Amino acid sequence: MTLGARRWTRVIALLPLLAGVTASRTARLAAPLSSTVSGSSPRIDSTRTTWDSVYSDSQAKRGESRYGVLCARCHQAELGGADESPALTGGAFLGNWNGHPLSELQARIRTGMPPSSPGSFGLQDITDVVAYLLAYNGFPAGTTDLPVEEMALKGIVFVAERR
Amino acid sequence: MIERLVRRARIALALLFAAASLAAQQRPASPLRVLTTAGGEWPSYTGDVRGSRYSPLDQINAANFGTLEVAWRFKTDALGPRPEFKLEGTPLVVGGVLYATAGTRRAVVALDAATGELLWVHSENEGERGAAAPRPLSGRGLAYWTDGRSSRVLYVTPGYRLVALDPRTGARVLAFGDSGAVDLKTGMDQVIAPDLTTGEVGFQGAPVVARDVVIIGAAFREGGTPRTYRNNKGYVRGYDVRTGKRLWIFHTIPVKGEFGYDSWLNNSADAAGNTGVWTQITVDEELGLVYLPVESPTGDYYGGHRPGNNLYGESIVCVDLRTGVRKWYFQMVHHPIWDFDLSAAPILADITVDGRAIKSVAVPTKQGLLYVFDRVTGKPVWPIEEQRVETGDVPGEWYAPTQPMPTRPRAFSRNGLTTDDLIDFTPALHAAAIAATARFKLGPIFTPPVVSKYEGPFATLALGPTNGGVNWPGGSYDPETHLLYVSASNYSPSPLGLVEPTSDVSDMNYVRGFAPPPPGTLRTGGGMEVQGLPLVKPPYGTITAIDLDKGDISWQVPHGETPDVVRNHEALRGLEIPRTGQPGSVGTLVTKTLLIAGDPQVTSSSTRARGAMLRAYDKATGREVGGVLLPAPQSGSPMTYGVNGRQYLVVAVSGGAYSGEYIAFRLPVAAAR
Repeated sequence: MTLGARRWTRVIALLPLLAGVTASRTARLAAPLSSTVSGSSPRIDSTRTTWDSVYSDSQAKRGESRYGVLCARCHQAELGGADESPALTGGAFLGNWNGHPLSELQARIRTGMPPSSPGSFGLQDITDVVAYLLAYNGFPAGTTDLPVEEMALKGIVFVAERR
Repeated sequence: MIERLVRRARIALALLFAAASLAAQQRPASPLRVLTTAGGEWPSYTGDVRGSRYSPLDQINAANFGTLEVAWRFKTDALGPRPEFKLEGTPLVVGGVLYATAGTRRAVVALDAATGELLWVHSENEGERGAAAPRPLSGRGLAYWTDGRSSRVLYVTPGYRLVALDPRTGARVLAFGDSGAVDLKTGMDQVIAPDLTTGEVGFQGAPVVARDVVIIGAAFREGGTPRTYRNNKGYVRGYDVRTGKRLWIFHTIPVKGEFGYDSWLNNSADAAGNTGVWTQITVDEELGLVYLPVESPTGDYYGGHRPGNNLYGESIVCVDLRTGVRKWYFQMVHHPIWDFDLSAAPILADITVDGRAIKSVAVPTKQGLLYVFDRVTGKPVWPIEEQRVETGDVPGEWYAPTQPMPTRPRAFSRNGLTTDDLIDFTPALHAAAIAATARFKLGPIFTPPVVSKYEGPFATLALGPTNGGVNWPGGSYDPETHLLYVSASNYSPSPLGLVEPTSDVSDMNYVRGFAPPPPGTLRTGGGMEVQGLPLVKPPYGTITAIDLDKGDISWQVPHGETPDVVRNHEALRGLEIPRTGQPGSVGTLVTKTLLIAGDPQVTSSSTRARGAMLRAYDKATGREVGGVLLPAPQSGSPMTYGVNGRQYLVVAVSGGAYSGEYIAFRLPVAAAR
């Protein structure tokens, strides 16, 4: 069993502790991505958020290296973007992803990048880059890697605000 | 003219009914241009070919803007092999039909302007050539042309072909070019290296058509890290709209023997590239003059391979519509090394200064300065003075000792950065910002880039270059009041650091980059922000109204909701923070009474759904008078038109997880009466 899958099990196991919301939360975790595409508000009260130390330092370091090879030419070494490529740091980036599960950020990269040959990046590389984006944007590191499995990432919500 | 228009097509009839019932204040149609925003249409990317983004329609006004309803939505996902998240188009509307570019292959769609129903799609699968495009995706729009008998929709594909379509069917007009298309990688007075498939040149903007001439610019990849200083050159060309025949070419980098060649020392014009026109071109059809906003030469931040002032880099150039012959030029930045590309459509404005009528052209820029000229002579309307600027010490670089600075109007956005600009919500945050910027070189506009050293200077930290001030969405102009409007980014930190590239990256001496951190240390965003907060004081973005008769700022307001990261920040609890606005340059639309623009970012709120507001301001005062919620940021510039007696607003939204969508608004039935 992979690390990500183990974490998923743990998230599910915690759910019964949250009396009263268990049913709806389970249903939401199982729901497809499409709710955000139709314009409704994604909810941000999930079990875990990007403030819960969801990646490791070593993963972010790997991600930095992959970012340099795969992404930096367009999105720039300091993630500021340019005419054709949006910034991956700062208010617009944080605002765009605020409230969305990390699975959507992973999927956005997987299905759209690089523009010249979408779908050619490996899932581990993409997930490591996501970890690096979190590190770069000031989210805290923990002791375990961000999982590569989409289902597991659905349970981790990107929250922009430092509360 | 009108009679011919009616005969042309059934849909034109619908248009005329709409126009008649909508606008009692219609002006008579110009002899040069039958189709006007006054007639309820939106026949060009900026409404006209003058860069105005103005429509006199007035059904949607301050009293009812907040009641706008979604009339229709057009999702663009299926127009290419995958969804697109960067929809930047502004549609056209002619004769009750809306034309737009959309989707990852830059398809052209025709929609019923009243309902959004798809009438036809034209899409070109350019295979490897499309995949190699330096400016891919849906682009910004198209051009419409008619002589009263025949008509055409024109656009440039990602693979750099100019295609002419029949507006009724979406089929190529076979009489144009080679079976309906002109290969723009040919006929360019140079060999596009290395070959037509992968050779780097493209264009994501909307073509402009004036009289019977289509004008096309050129764009390249991002210029901070070019693979070679011998890049392809971004010449501009004019084509016959009927045949696709090239009528003229303007060498934005002069060839030997042409004026300006000697502004490139050591014959460096021969090798230098880029210097294209990637944003919108504007035209004075009556004078027969074209205004070209030219970008930077090769190497956005390093010019050591091109010593000299480098004409026509970062210049406005006025050329003849029929011949492409230069009439006048003005270089805004000598020897460009800040990526201050002329990024926005020049705006043609007939103004009155000190009692004197002037046909002017006003050029908004990334550096937050508006340069205003007599558009016939090229003479500045208010003095533009050469000022001494700092000379840097990057090995091999050549520095211009002075730069032109307009004396009026004053800057509408930040273009330098000093410690006085740093965040000061609390003394602790201000101190943290000073500490965060300690490794950076700060200074006023034209502070030069530095070779990056990790211990410092890590980079020159600037706010104008790359994404500051006004970018491709451009501004708006109200021909009745002579007010010019711009949405500008006041916080787009651009660290200008240089590194020596390895030979597999580039043959340049220096490219944009940063010294690596000590081994084992992660590179993070610490220098660009303070505890997740923007490094500088608000406002982060503004809308400014500039009175072009006086050269004064008439009003300026923060534009955009306070970002979530600021509004909910733990360090700001208990503080009253007025609306900060948002960084980002968005397109504005000016109507009879309103100035309309959407937020550049999405925000959450306890009082409404998550999203971005499309806002209306009283155009005379800047007072916000209404808003409606968009599900994603405004990513293309809004436009307006009238059909069947009702006024519509259409805006492109996309960004983050939200794929491209055109959304049309109109008033509820009762309010529209």
